[in-house]
Amino acid sequence: MPAAATSAGGDEPVLSLRDVSFTYLEGEKPALSHFDLQVPQGDFLGIIGPSGAGKTTLAAVLSGAIPHHYRGTFQGVAMVCGMDTVEVELTDVSRAVGSVLQDIDAQMISSNVEDEMLYGLENFGVPHAEIPDRLEWALRTVGIQDLLHREVSTLSGGQKQKVAIAAILAIRPRVMVLDEPTAALDPASSRSVFETLRLLNEEEGITVVVIEQKVALLSEYCRHMAVLAEGSLRFHGTPREVFAHGEELRALGVDSPRVTRVSNQLARYGLTPTNEVCLNVEEAVETVARVVGDRGAGFEVARRTVSEEPPVGRPVLNFDHVGFSYGMGGASVEDLTFQVRHGELVGVIGQNGAGKTTTTKLINGLLRPSRGTVEVCGEKTTSQRTSQIARHVSTLFQDPDRQLCKNTVLEEVAFSLQLLGVADDVATERARSVVSRFALPEDAAPFSLSRGQRQIVALASVVVTEPDVLVLDEPTSGLDYRECMEVMAAVDEMRRKGCGVVMVCHDMEVVSDFASRLIVMANGRILADGAPADVFGDEELLARAYVSAPQVAQLSKRLADEVSPAFGGITEVHDIVEVTRGLARQ
Amino acid sequence: MSNAVEYSEGTSPLHRANPVSKVFLAICICVSTFLAQGYPMLLGLLAFTVGMSFLGGVGRRTLKLLAGLLAVSAVMFLIQTAISRQGQIVFLWVTDHGASVAAHAGIRLLTFALPLMVMLWVTRPTDLANAFVEVLHVPYKYAFTITTALRFVPIFSEEMDQIVEAQTARGVEYDSGNIFHRFRLMMPLMVPLLISSVSKADDTALAAEERGFYLRTRESSYKRYPMRALDLAIMGVGVALVVLGVLF
Repeated sequence: MPAAATSAGGDEPVLSLRDVSFTYLEGEKPALSHFDLQVPQGDFLGIIGPSGAGKTTLAAVLSGAIPHHYRGTFQGVAMVCGMDTVEVELTDVSRAVGSVLQDIDAQMISSNVEDEMLYGLENFGVPHAEIPDRLEWALRTVGIQDLLHREVSTLSGGQKQKVAIAAILAIRPRVMVLDEPTAALDPASSRSVFETLRLLNEEEGITVVVIEQKVALLSEYCRHMAVLAEGSLRFHGTPREVFAHGEELRALGVDSPRVTRVSNQLARYGLTPTNEVCLNVEEAVETVARVVGDRGAGFEVARRTVSEEPPVGRPVLNFDHVGFSYGMGGASVEDLTFQVRHGELVGVIGQNGAGKTTTTKLINGLLRPSRGTVEVCGEKTTSQRTSQIARHVSTLFQDPDRQLCKNTVLEEVAFSLQLLGVADDVATERARSVVSRFALPEDAAPFSLSRGQRQIVALASVVVTEPDVLVLDEPTSGLDYRECMEVMAAVDEMRRKGCGVVMVCHDMEVVSDFASRLIVMANGRILADGAPADVFGDEELLARAYVSAPQVAQLSKRLADEVSPAFGGITEVHDIVEVTRGLARQ
Repeated sequence: MSNAVEYSEGTSPLHRANPVSKVFLAICICVSTFLAQGYPMLLGLLAFTVGMSFLGGVGRRTLKLLAGLLAVSAVMFLIQTAISRQGQIVFLWVTDHGASVAAHAGIRLLTFALPLMVMLWVTRPTDLANAFVEVLHVPYKYAFTITTALRFVPIFSEEMDQIVEAQTARGVEYDSGNIFHRFRLMMPLMVPLLISSVSKADDTALAAEERGFYLRTRESSYKRYPMRALDLAIMGVGVALVVLGVLF
């Protein structure tokens, strides 16, 4: 247990904020106001909250970047490992608190893993004789010994996160603060990063503070949670205590894990005690089984069935034995055959590197197939320029900033139409109606808006062209719950109007809520193409693709096997609750 | 992935040599290029550089770059022939004197660009910074600036690629028209790139400071960078090349 020796007693909090307020130099409102927080030694604290709640600012205060790096007005007292951050240098704080920034490329100082690992050790004056052991230990603890001689630019997102964590770990801090370490990662890599953090917390006694949007994942790993909104602390407690306030959290724009919603709703109907909050599928199975008792057998409940007519008509998109390979690097694809029809939302799921993004580029014409054919609205992409394909296909990219280039929101949205040859005045008129539908400020500069708002501007500039095919590449990453729902509601409306949607997405809850069909990819090939309920019910298939079913699908499968066949194939929280009530009422 | 400045892993003598002596040699070749007057010397310097790159295991990369540079060099040649018009006209507007000046300029452009690139390919940026701090007593701040700039080259070029892709998918016609037309279309994209690079640079500065940037001294580096016999030999070759440049 290095770093465990605290001053007498050891129950003094390792991080302590008393009445802390901070206003950025360029900001009008305080990003944090009158903030109080105590974090005990050895805690694993998850920080959640909607965008703009002050999460990143809080991380900066805990790591000393505020008041030392970011300029603004700081009030109150921030004590870190017994030091008042105002009175010491940032470097002194950094010896005790390691921090991993949100932008992982900026976090990396060297172009090579070994140099990255050495950097902190060298600067903090670790005796050179000790360095090889420290380095070896940090790499082994994080489980990345094999990466030592790699160039940073050749690493995957998950590997970069682990290198960043190992480079901090080597300095042996008492606290680690991480800002959305899994934002760009697929579910398997996200879990792997959290496993690493758990290890550091439990084996090495390091206090971990992590900002995270993936609440279900976070609640499995963290000991305590802090919910921020508008710069202040709204809830602080164990995940169970925090998620007992599901309704209030939702009002703040914070999602709860789906199984928690099940237990909260059962509690509201008086079927379970209010303090019984489920955090994982296992607990939810137990709770529902207890409520249902032995009334589960041989009972059928009329469920709300999905009343979508199967999509008909000619496909808007047709892949026929499509293959593509890059010269070097990049994920190749092989033998892709599928169709997308009007009014369908096809979710494409699979691990990073499975070929999902390559597939989207084959749709919007950024890539042309080297084998087979891709047809958009009946025309082969090989015989058209990308700008011609753009008349039928619109793409919403993961990072909206790459899409935005104009000075005002209105110009930005109108520009999409102008590119397709629509006359300026007509374009402006159509843009204006779309901009007002999304309640966006017409004259604001896109880059002055928040991350979520920028995504919605990008979405508006995609929606305005009324495309036949809409391609979405991780449309909800980096968004909070409310923004995510706003984006997806707009997408769903497009689909109902007849647009064929192809969505690449790591968030299985979003996929399960909105997709009418799923394509599962692994190693550049399609493993399966079918209804979400069938795909998520096939454990062997999911294991091969390294994805896991959303919580509700896992829950309904377990319940169908163990409690009552009535639960089979359910994909929504509401239906689980209704079936449980129906069975309990018997 | 096209990364113009990326380090190529290797164990050749060039990889093992001290970064300071490698930079010295590269600069000597450049100086010699300016001093040399005759074609044999200029072509010799070019051949020396290419040979050296094969020794460092980056020969194919060098030939690829050379092929690319030849196009630039050809443009240089044409421009020079248009500017220097003394002497007898031998072909259209090209004079004998002009052709000679232009040929020199064309070859010089190649021998000027190549050595520095080859040097970067066989040297880790961090080693470059550390060696300059240790051997030449360059303040770490400046060394860090240079290595960070090198590190950002691939990051920004990828960022730019993705911005262009996003705009292309929207229907901006980068895939048609001439190079000036395309350049005009690219201009508005510089703003988002600039905004993201400023915030990235600020984040990197913070990340460095949080890992003891200000504590770093000349003794900090775990690796040492002594000047060995090999390095003296390399520097000797560099001096010799400059002398040859003066003579021929």
